[in-house]
Amino acid sequence: MTTLTSKIQVKRTYWPYLLIAPSLFIILLILGFPVFRLITLSFQKFGLEEIIAEKPIWLGFENFKVLLGDPEFWIVLLRTFLFTFGMVAVSIVVGAWLAHLMVRMNAVIRWILNTTLILVWAMPALVGISVWKWMFSYEFSIITSTINRLGFDFAQRNWFTNTFSGFSIIGGIVAWGAIPFITISIYAALTQVPKELLEAAAIDGASSRQIFRNVILPILLPIYVILISLSIIWDFQVFTQIWVVLDNRPPSEYYTMAIYAFEKSFGLSEYGMGAAIALLMIISLLGVTWYYIRKMVAIGDSNA
Amino acid sequence: MHKRSSVFSNISGIFAIIFMGFPVYWMVSTSFKRREEVLSVEPRFLPTSLTLENYRDAFSREGFTTSLRNSIIVVLITVVISLLLATFASVAIARTKFRGKKSFITSLLVVQMLPLSALIIPLFLLLTKLQLTNKIGGLAITYVAFILPFTIWTLRGFLANIPVDIEEAALVDGCTRIQAYRYVLMPLMAPGLVATAIFAFIQAWNEFLLAYIIMQSQENLTLPVWLAGFTTRTGTDWGPLMAASTVVALPVVIFFSLIQKRIATGVTSGAVKG
Repeated sequence: MTTLTSKIQVKRTYWPYLLIAPSLFIILLILGFPVFRLITLSFQKFGLEEIIAEKPIWLGFENFKVLLGDPEFWIVLLRTFLFTFGMVAVSIVVGAWLAHLMVRMNAVIRWILNTTLILVWAMPALVGISVWKWMFSYEFSIITSTINRLGFDFAQRNWFTNTFSGFSIIGGIVAWGAIPFITISIYAALTQVPKELLEAAAIDGASSRQIFRNVILPILLPIYVILISLSIIWDFQVFTQIWVVLDNRPPSEYYTMAIYAFEKSFGLSEYGMGAAIALLMIISLLGVTWYYIRKMVAIGDSNA
Repeated sequence: MHKRSSVFSNISGIFAIIFMGFPVYWMVSTSFKRREEVLSVEPRFLPTSLTLENYRDAFSREGFTTSLRNSIIVVLITVVISLLLATFASVAIARTKFRGKKSFITSLLVVQMLPLSALIIPLFLLLTKLQLTNKIGGLAITYVAFILPFTIWTLRGFLANIPVDIEEAALVDGCTRIQAYRYVLMPLMAPGLVATAIFAFIQAWNEFLLAYIIMQSQENLTLPVWLAGFTTRTGTDWGPLMAASTVVALPVVIFFSLIQKRIATGVTSGAVKG
């Protein structure tokens, strides 16, 4: 019966299309077309000359050949993977750990922690970056002076000449901004585990370890998968933190895929090459987040 | 499932509060410190005296008023347009059946995962060609496109929880379809619209990369780009920068605390139910 009426509706109504038309138009124009253009661009030589002449030169796979043969590309790719892995690992481990501890915290401490997390979560990225830059500034750093007060001799210190400490600080900014979302999501999920399930397991004689493994973990697992996938998607493309912390001119030791593509395009005006890097970046991401994308498609199907 | 509190959890909690909260504290406390105290090689955790001079400096700094004005205009346009379009689209997907609906919903969800820093290259070329760079309208339309998928999806969630019977009753009572939406559905959707509007506001207010690329000339900066420009070749005015950061963060903190619960459960709810 329902399928019958729905079929009639499909045939007779045109106004659902009118309702989605403006949204669809803007999304296709601003998001859809650029995806298509990114692909074509990556097979072209497209620099200032070509922009002015409005005539791109088709190169076939030349851009990709040049990139894959360039050792710098592989270093940048490896650096991006390591940096992403570090940030995702730290933010997920710390975030999850905090969430699980929050269940066992005193109510007052938990409330203060929750408020602090929301405050940090609300910080605009640029505000967070500015504050961290200030905390690690060359002359007046509160961190350097605190370390010195503890008896070390760091003197004045440029934290960013060493790329390891530089990336640690930048990753710290990203993780600091990401932890509140992770902790609050996991904590919310933990509080939603049905009491009856836990009590039933306890009555059946399960130890707290067994309860965690057999009752809580299966409920939390999909949330972990989503949070890890989202973290990978967000952290892999980190741009602003690196760019602004290094005063809008990051040295090449700090290039990640996002910065590399940006510099090639907007710094050197090699838009075709930049697009090729960006495309490889999307492809690497697709591989890592395949599960999540399938999940999203499934949600789309079940809600249609 | 709260358990008895444990000492270890409480101590970890206190450490977490200190480490997570310190940057926020340091921003606010620096913003009220006198200049000599800000620029001290031996910074103190507590300010010895309070002053508003950093705020005065930040407000009178070049570009603050124009950036503030630009930010407000971009945010207003973005919120109004994205809310209007998202309302239409969400009614379509929550209340009607049409061919292609499944692919529309799926693309809404998948498109949100496109990395902005990859898309920015063709997007910039497109906007240049359409002569939309360096125009507030161009930035706003871009924001609308990036915000729409999430807003449509969120509003659809709100709509799904409003029983269809209510509108049908209105139709039976002689309303036209438009009237049923306007007078019956819209008031019920109000909380969802407010939450979505705040979300759009925060996104547009905070965004950096698109604004940085699209709005190049000095009189077209938005607040985040203006903040990023505090460090020049001659150095950084840390006191005023912290005052400006506090001011930029304030509206977001206020609005965010209003809708935080909804976002936290919204993102992961699909995992449990889907």
